[in-house]
Amino acid sequence: MMLPKQGDPILVQNMTGRYGRLHTRLMLDYGTNVAAGVAPGKGGQSVEGVPVYNTVQDAVDKTGARASVCFVPAEFTLAAGEEALNTGVRLLVIITERVPIRDELRLVELAQKRGASIVGPNCPGLIIPSQKVKLGIMPATSFAPGSVALYSRSGTLTYEIAGQLTGSGFGQSIAVGIGGDPINGTTPVEWMDFAQGIDETKAVVVVGEIGGDAEERLARHIQKSGYRKPIVAYIAGRHAPKEKKMGHAGAIIYGDYGTADSKVSALRGAGVKVAMTPMEVPLLVRESLR
Amino acid sequence: MRLFEYQAKDLFKQYGLPVPKSILVSDVGGIRGAFGSLKPPVAIKSQVLAGGRGKAGGIAVVNDPAQAEQEARRIFSLPIGGERPNSLLVEEAYPHEKEMYLSVTLDRGDRAFVTIAASAGGVDVESMAGKVIRRISLDGIDSAFAIEVATLLKLPPIQVGAFVSIILSLERLAREKECELAEINPLAVGKDGFLMPLDAKVIVDDNALFRHPEFAKLHPEDEFEGEASRQGFAFVRLGGDIAVVGNGAGLVLSTLDLVGDAGGNPACFLDLGGGAQQERIEAALRLVNRLPGVDRILINIYGGITRTTDVAAGMNTVLAEGVMKPIYARVSGAEEEEARKLLAGTPVKMYRTAPEAVEAVMKGA
Repeated sequence: MMLPKQGDPILVQNMTGRYGRLHTRLMLDYGTNVAAGVAPGKGGQSVEGVPVYNTVQDAVDKTGARASVCFVPAEFTLAAGEEALNTGVRLLVIITERVPIRDELRLVELAQKRGASIVGPNCPGLIIPSQKVKLGIMPATSFAPGSVALYSRSGTLTYEIAGQLTGSGFGQSIAVGIGGDPINGTTPVEWMDFAQGIDETKAVVVVGEIGGDAEERLARHIQKSGYRKPIVAYIAGRHAPKEKKMGHAGAIIYGDYGTADSKVSALRGAGVKVAMTPMEVPLLVRESLR
Repeated sequence: MRLFEYQAKDLFKQYGLPVPKSILVSDVGGIRGAFGSLKPPVAIKSQVLAGGRGKAGGIAVVNDPAQAEQEARRIFSLPIGGERPNSLLVEEAYPHEKEMYLSVTLDRGDRAFVTIAASAGGVDVESMAGKVIRRISLDGIDSAFAIEVATLLKLPPIQVGAFVSIILSLERLAREKECELAEINPLAVGKDGFLMPLDAKVIVDDNALFRHPEFAKLHPEDEFEGEASRQGFAFVRLGGDIAVVGNGAGLVLSTLDLVGDAGGNPACFLDLGGGAQQERIEAALRLVNRLPGVDRILINIYGGITRTTDVAAGMNTVLAEGVMKPIYARVSGAEEEEARKLLAGTPVKMYRTAPEAVEAVMKGA
């Protein structure tokens, strides 16, 4: 995982769109070095004083950026992602919602081939408060530097939990929106291993939800690897109906596959403290770190 | 998007998969005619999307027209998982000795499509004995792959030809139509090694529908779901009396849990989406206000990119339009104090945390 440090240049794909413009400004405000934008046919323009190029290649050549935040609409996300991964981008954060599953799978395959990482799609991005690195759309005010790594399948719920952690004195070493789709560019297991290797991370908070088996896999991984840092989890959707997509494409229970109960019991079985409400998360973190 | 069985079987036909001869009827009046043109025994099958159709009594096998009519009447009025059929599939029964299972499906954990096959069918795929799971390439499979699966299943030589042709067709269908799932359960084994799909379950990737306009008109939409989808809301009807509205799928899900834990019954899940503007809040409130069964509205907004003052202004607009069900709102985050001021003196009850708002909405029962 190659994460940017303070001052490292980053790209914004589709910078000239409504969200691209808004979040370019908000990322700059946070102190992130947004060095170039990409928008086919808009080369030569600028957004918030940041130059826009026609291709990722041009932007990479001019700035040396290795990370990109992608706001390209779902219809074109595959092409934009391929362009980025094929021209030297090693961390691709895809904010875009509604990307088709087969396009996501092709991007995941390509990233593996290139030794690159994808965060998302359908995610708020990632933030590293101590480095003033914000590659995404999360509100800066909810986050503060600290020692909790926060990984989540949601957007707003992540901000809420981050805000409560921050309010309780637990800043974040990193916070990542893994994505709300059935396919995630980087899985919770990969992020958990990443947190294990970062000294400043003292505890990990995982925010999961119904659908799929990422949390069950995580539980097995924690048990097998003898994970050493305290982990607190919260799983949304204990009262969700079956066979209904609950907002996120990935948040759906089929039969007994993907229920909150299955996830909660798997995580508890692996020694993870599971909060029953978002408000309980900081309390359990405090208990874990005592 | 899940297709009805008859829609999935139409798709099967397009891809050269065999299906039993059938006729779709949309009222009891059509049943005798349909029965008369098929060879008995005939299966009458409720066309609902809910699972557990057989167990719930949604399928009947009949031998004469009077019995057909009687069963059709019963099945038309039988709700399955709260859903009543708009049509019945009347289908020739297929005599068979054995049932198999075959699907092409997304394996989320392994981030790949797989085919799952079992030489003994069953209701529960998880517990099927001797099943074969093979990863499939995004670019498709070939005959060698199909023969390998047949070999792993230890199929008798007489069945291999039919099986290879079925798995190749099913995979091509799943790939070209961008399905999350294309499933044949059961796949009946007839005499002479012939294989016949008796049921068809197809779920198309919603996010790929822009590449498949052919699916656009397939589903009769609930009035409210249609309105919500035009507005770009994620919306699910849940049947209770408390409308639950918020910004962000995870946040709304967690709010449903708080309501459920407190013993309440949500009427709906409505996610405004990130960065919601004033007009969207207004549209959402108007929608849930006229949703049948709703008698109070719970709003959970965590302001970030969504401005809490926009939320407050939206509430004020709809309040000014006239009768609004009682609103219990938790509005937190940026500009929260200004939002409170905007709503001072209105009937909206404001709370600082979600549990406080939930407690109040429960007392308001």
